[in-house]
Amino acid sequence: MTQHASAAGPPAARRRRAEPDDRAERERIAAVRRYDILDTPPDGAFDRVAALAARLLDAPAATVTIVDTDRVRFKAAHGLEGLKGIEEVDRVPGLCASAVRRDGALVIPDTLLDPVAAHHPLVTGELGIRFYAAAPITTGDGHRLGTVNVLDTRPRVITEDDTATLVDLAALVMDQLELRLSALRTLRAEREARERAEKDRASIAAFASTLQRTLLPPALPAVPGLELACHYRTASAHEVGGDFYDVFPLDGERWAFFMGDVCGKGPEAATVTALARHTLRAAARVDPDPVTVLGALNAELLTDVTAGSRYCTTVYGVLEPREKEGFTVTLAAGGHPPAYHLGTDDSGTVSARPVQLQGGMLVGAFRQARFARTVLTLDRGETLFLYTDGLTEARTAEGAMLGDEGLTGFLERRDGIPTASALVEDTITLLASLPDQAGDDVALLALSVPGPTTAPKTGVSATARTTASPEHLGQE
Amino acid sequence: MTDTLRLSVRRPGPDLAVATLIGDVDLHTAPVLRADALELIETGTPRLILDLAQVDYFDSTGLSVLIGIWHAAREAGGTLVLAAVPGRLTRMLSLTGVDALLPVHATLAEALAYSGGGASG
Repeated sequence: MTQHASAAGPPAARRRRAEPDDRAERERIAAVRRYDILDTPPDGAFDRVAALAARLLDAPAATVTIVDTDRVRFKAAHGLEGLKGIEEVDRVPGLCASAVRRDGALVIPDTLLDPVAAHHPLVTGELGIRFYAAAPITTGDGHRLGTVNVLDTRPRVITEDDTATLVDLAALVMDQLELRLSALRTLRAEREARERAEKDRASIAAFASTLQRTLLPPALPAVPGLELACHYRTASAHEVGGDFYDVFPLDGERWAFFMGDVCGKGPEAATVTALARHTLRAAARVDPDPVTVLGALNAELLTDVTAGSRYCTTVYGVLEPREKEGFTVTLAAGGHPPAYHLGTDDSGTVSARPVQLQGGMLVGAFRQARFARTVLTLDRGETLFLYTDGLTEARTAEGAMLGDEGLTGFLERRDGIPTASALVEDTITLLASLPDQAGDDVALLALSVPGPTTAPKTGVSATARTTASPEHLGQE
Repeated sequence: MTDTLRLSVRRPGPDLAVATLIGDVDLHTAPVLRADALELIETGTPRLILDLAQVDYFDSTGLSVLIGIWHAAREAGGTLVLAAVPGRLTRMLSLTGVDALLPVHATLAEALAYSGGGASG
């Protein structure tokens, strides 16, 4: 005798063997997998539902089970010593396996009177289950994952209210599973988003670094009779810096060099950097005169629609070999911190003189911009030092900027004039010793004429140092 | 250093505004300076005096904004004049040559006298 609480089908339907042989069953199993509930650790929420079911129906035992392909898994078991420790049973028809195939609750007042349930191991075994009632745990899209079950060792009849309670408790389990699933999904989505972001960040850093390299000369050329050294450091590996420099041949004998600093950072600054570099090179080929070249760059930057908002500081010079040795340097600058000319005075003391160019204005900010030129001689043993404000605005341990005075002191505090390479090396060491060494981009360019007053040096060397803040790449 | 900036504005002449900056000008506050100054220029006072007596800190972002304001004032037929410029900005204006185009006065009174008080032109 079987008591059907709702939407009861004919007994024959219930008694059909519970084999996962149809499409609905495959979809049901997919739903069980989706909620990821089979192999999760015991959940206090399911234990409370089982306890509640037993108490509300005044029964000695209750369970929460999930039906897998061929096993019934116990997610919670309350009451009856014999139920403790059972994690799963074979999926044989009669109890859970039958209940999970029905829409409504299944109530079997006396299992021994039910031709299918009577053969179930829980009925025939030590436990001797005589009463069984269950409500399916049904997903929003109609898949029954398992059941909430109430069991007794004596036959009994329950009220419609009891059955309704069981259905409500099953719905409560479903709510709990939905919450868990949505939390799992959120976690998964967050993890995926994090992984994606990390990948994106790495590829963006790689892209910026590649772009940066294309904005810099790959290496300084070898200029006969001149030693060159440079250094470049971006404030962040993720930022394409705004500092730029180059050294290139003008004709058979003359060479040109420049250094600049674009206002701002990032991709917009990078476009100005690229435009500035190419314009300077192109203009130098037409007329290498420094004032003319800076005027051409000023005009070019102002033709853009963003006229006046994208500008840079620039120092540009032409090197012309002197008859015996050394170079005549014609220099012009716009808004750029002064280059330093390192020589010795009559007493042999190292002097670092800023090359003053009065009135040189920012390049690309004003149509009215004026640039001034000056000519100096770079003698044997002397060095010309160019830098961007990332050096003079670097903070010392005392919190003050290095400044012009600090830089002059640094350049003069030595026994002899350093070669280009030695000076750049020393400056890198100085920067590394400052606490706030990654505040801004820094570019350095030194040109020296090897000679007796400089440290012994074999031949002429051109060194290029380009670093994209490896310490940052490592951290992020 | 403060993290806010506000402009106290008075209009001593029909097309002349004096904006006293209260706070510091840096990456975060420069947009305030830009927006407020451009609004003054667009609303009938293209002759603008920026009084910087109460500004302690003014960085290169601020300089960039000054250049933008200078262009806007000029396009509107006006002028941009600075008064009581802090030391670092003075050095920046000199290094970048911007002081050749942007009149700088030691005090607001001097700037007002230079700008002809309320008279236009």
